[in-house]
Amino acid sequence: MNLSSLPLQGIRVADFGQVIAAPVTAQMLGWLGAEVILVETESRFTTRVWPPFADGEFGIDRSGGFNLVNNNKLSCSLDLRQPDAVELAQGIIRVSDVLVENYATGVMEHLGLGYDEVKKLRPDIVYMSLAAFGRSGPFKNLTGFHSVINLFSGLAAVTGDPGSHPRIMGGLIPDAFAGCYGVLAVLQALYHRSRTGEGQFVEVSMTEALTGMIPEAVMEYSLTGREQQRTGNRDGRRAPHNVFRCLGEEKWVAISVETDTQFRALAQASGNPGWADDPRFSTASDRLENQDALEALVQDWTAGLEVETVVTTLQAAGVPAAPVSDSAEVLADPHLLERRFVVPLEHPVAGTRPVTTLPWAADGRRADNLRPAPTFGQHNRWVLKELLQVPDEEYERLVSLGAVG
Amino acid sequence: MSTSVALGAPPPSALAGVRVVEYTEAASASFCARLLGDAGADVVKVEPPEGDRHRRYGPFPDGHPDPDWSGMFLYLNANKRGVGLELQALPQAHTDRSGEGRLERSGREAAFNELVATADILVVGGQSADIEQHGLRREALRHLNPGLIVAAITPFGLSGPSSAYVGDDLTAVAAGGLSFSTPGVPDGVQDPAREPPLTANTPLAELMTGLLGSAACVAALLARQFSGQGSEIDLSLQEGVAAVMPYELAHAAYHEAKTRQPPGFALMPNVYMPCKDGYVVIMAVLDGHWRRLMEAAGNPEWGDLEVFATGRQRGQNWDALEPLMLEWTMSHTGEEIARLAQERGVPCFPAYSVGQMMESPHVTERAFLQDFRSPDGRSFKLPGHPIRMSATPWRSFRPAPCLGQHTVEVFRDWLGWQESEAHALSKAFREQTGVKDDQSRCPEPGNTAEGER
Repeated sequence: MNLSSLPLQGIRVADFGQVIAAPVTAQMLGWLGAEVILVETESRFTTRVWPPFADGEFGIDRSGGFNLVNNNKLSCSLDLRQPDAVELAQGIIRVSDVLVENYATGVMEHLGLGYDEVKKLRPDIVYMSLAAFGRSGPFKNLTGFHSVINLFSGLAAVTGDPGSHPRIMGGLIPDAFAGCYGVLAVLQALYHRSRTGEGQFVEVSMTEALTGMIPEAVMEYSLTGREQQRTGNRDGRRAPHNVFRCLGEEKWVAISVETDTQFRALAQASGNPGWADDPRFSTASDRLENQDALEALVQDWTAGLEVETVVTTLQAAGVPAAPVSDSAEVLADPHLLERRFVVPLEHPVAGTRPVTTLPWAADGRRADNLRPAPTFGQHNRWVLKELLQVPDEEYERLVSLGAVG
Repeated sequence: MSTSVALGAPPPSALAGVRVVEYTEAASASFCARLLGDAGADVVKVEPPEGDRHRRYGPFPDGHPDPDWSGMFLYLNANKRGVGLELQALPQAHTDRSGEGRLERSGREAAFNELVATADILVVGGQSADIEQHGLRREALRHLNPGLIVAAITPFGLSGPSSAYVGDDLTAVAAGGLSFSTPGVPDGVQDPAREPPLTANTPLAELMTGLLGSAACVAALLARQFSGQGSEIDLSLQEGVAAVMPYELAHAAYHEAKTRQPPGFALMPNVYMPCKDGYVVIMAVLDGHWRRLMEAAGNPEWGDLEVFATGRQRGQNWDALEPLMLEWTMSHTGEEIARLAQERGVPCFPAYSVGQMMESPHVTERAFLQDFRSPDGRSFKLPGHPIRMSATPWRSFRPAPCLGQHTVEVFRDWLGWQESEAHALSKAFREQTGVKDDQSRCPEPGNTAEGER
């Protein structure tokens, strides 16, 4: 994908994103070729002041959490508590095609930057508003941490061991997953705009995005009033289907066997051909019924082996197996590095760090337009003086008032 | 924002006029195509005689397997039309053209190629080797349709050292890093050496990657407006998972990889703890929040203790504070605690069961769930659409198709086949499957609730 074929060339995005969700949306739009202007306010810092920091040293340009979801953006720092700054933000919006935001419900309206106001400035804007519970309904004002989204949506209810309590997913996935719905929504709206000239307001709900991940549980409850079981790592159709301990501390391998062919391959490859003849394991339903015994056998086999040995042995035999990678292992995965999903990127303050890129390749190529996350206010001059044509004297006045910076 | 739609004039759809062919049994690729159908694309799902595997997954309205009423199939395949084709030898690159550029209709493979030749997007999924072997790479299909966008969703992608690896949802959640980090903050395991990493009892990786696939397809449509050329999208389940956990990866990139043990937060309480009827999360690290939380708890004496005065002190003295807080939480239900805390602006929420979520006033007021009725009159629900667009609202155009339900109309309407030719193709398929030409039991648009909001 070279710059001339990037789908969002010529598109400008005004990014009012907070924390993870809308920043993820805007970052992906940037990877796709849009020019993203992050409008930041010092009094509303989130990830910039959260760990981890480069070398463990606090600094607003040193946060990994910020730097990993704000690549390819320009930063314009405005104190949105000041009317002059809001006016500048409106100026940015006037020359933007897309606005993304995930402030608490009502904040954008309070700033005079709600959709009704913004569409007067830019009638064809695509305005993407993302919220924990959406922008309507009794819970629209609730604070929606990722844990809250997990707990409300039903995802936590189907996560955990049988007989145990609901567990919260790692990775802050409600934020980033909903952010990806934001990308889909904005791209659809831009496609519509390209054919009709019409902009629109788009709303994404994080809880609804997550509930969309549990269709079976929703249907089951509506039919029978029964809650779907938590099953640990087990599956209703496959056995073994679990993670197994390997050599080393907290080293695990995931193994999933669906077909009889795969099971015979597992038996052979693990040096236990007898498993294939064991009547307890003849068919998928036999294996499901006797999975306690089966898992114990598999666990005995993997316990003395390196993760990599188990994976390569089973994959050579055509059995689905993968390492249970921690985050560091994901960033160091030679497969992901060769695919250029993970690339080293130099940041002026935080140094060279691995970052993840657009999660797909087009015609075998990844975007080659990667730029590091901006330092705070790094592009104030460019955005305000070049883009908005704010005169020098006025710019200095705004800086001295603190509206800028 | 709810939109009411004037009678008679349906609202426009973002992807109206876009043609999509889907050929896959992978939930990821099916979900990808479904999301394109949700946006108004005309999606044709091509199925073999045995039908998509998710027809056998359920749940089923009366508990008995019925290929046309499997919940998972209905969810993954709404807003599509269904075509039945047996593709023993899947499409090869050497199909002849004849007549006015029309493909030869000598066989069912040619029929598939003809669909692909008129499509904007082909969505495929499954193991990488199968995609290669079946000639579903863009290079092999390009001569049919230079503008074709091919989206291939596979466990580990089409290139790279592990691309030939086989995998499924579990291996993707593992290799993408999500399993290791679950349970996640403020939850955590007590004994990292013994408690295994976790996934959810639902196809997380497939649905995440399917969503990304649909975004990639729309991006490719936009790119085609500039280039006039199609493209091939290569998307892996592993990357689909890793893409939605940037914050976890950031910690590793900055050499502060998170452990799986219960987080010893510097500031407390930021906890997930048991209560009378379940579990609650409570976030009261700010001193103002803490004071209001203590007010919610009825101002117990320990709330005023100097050792718990600041968030940092509460973190340092958590061992002493935890049992005191537990005494309060265990004497109230999650709903009570959340109400008392939320009334005072303290972030707090109980673990909902699926039923509590579905019956909550919030979900009801937003009309998020979609209603269905089976032929024997059983009502049930499936999740609706999490995107609400003012100009191009989501619509339930049609429920998931019965096996081969739209073979005749698709070949007639898309490709201009004679009615008799299309019927012959449909008849041949039905004979193979034993499916009767009785569509009265198929899910009908009238059987679903109004999808428009």
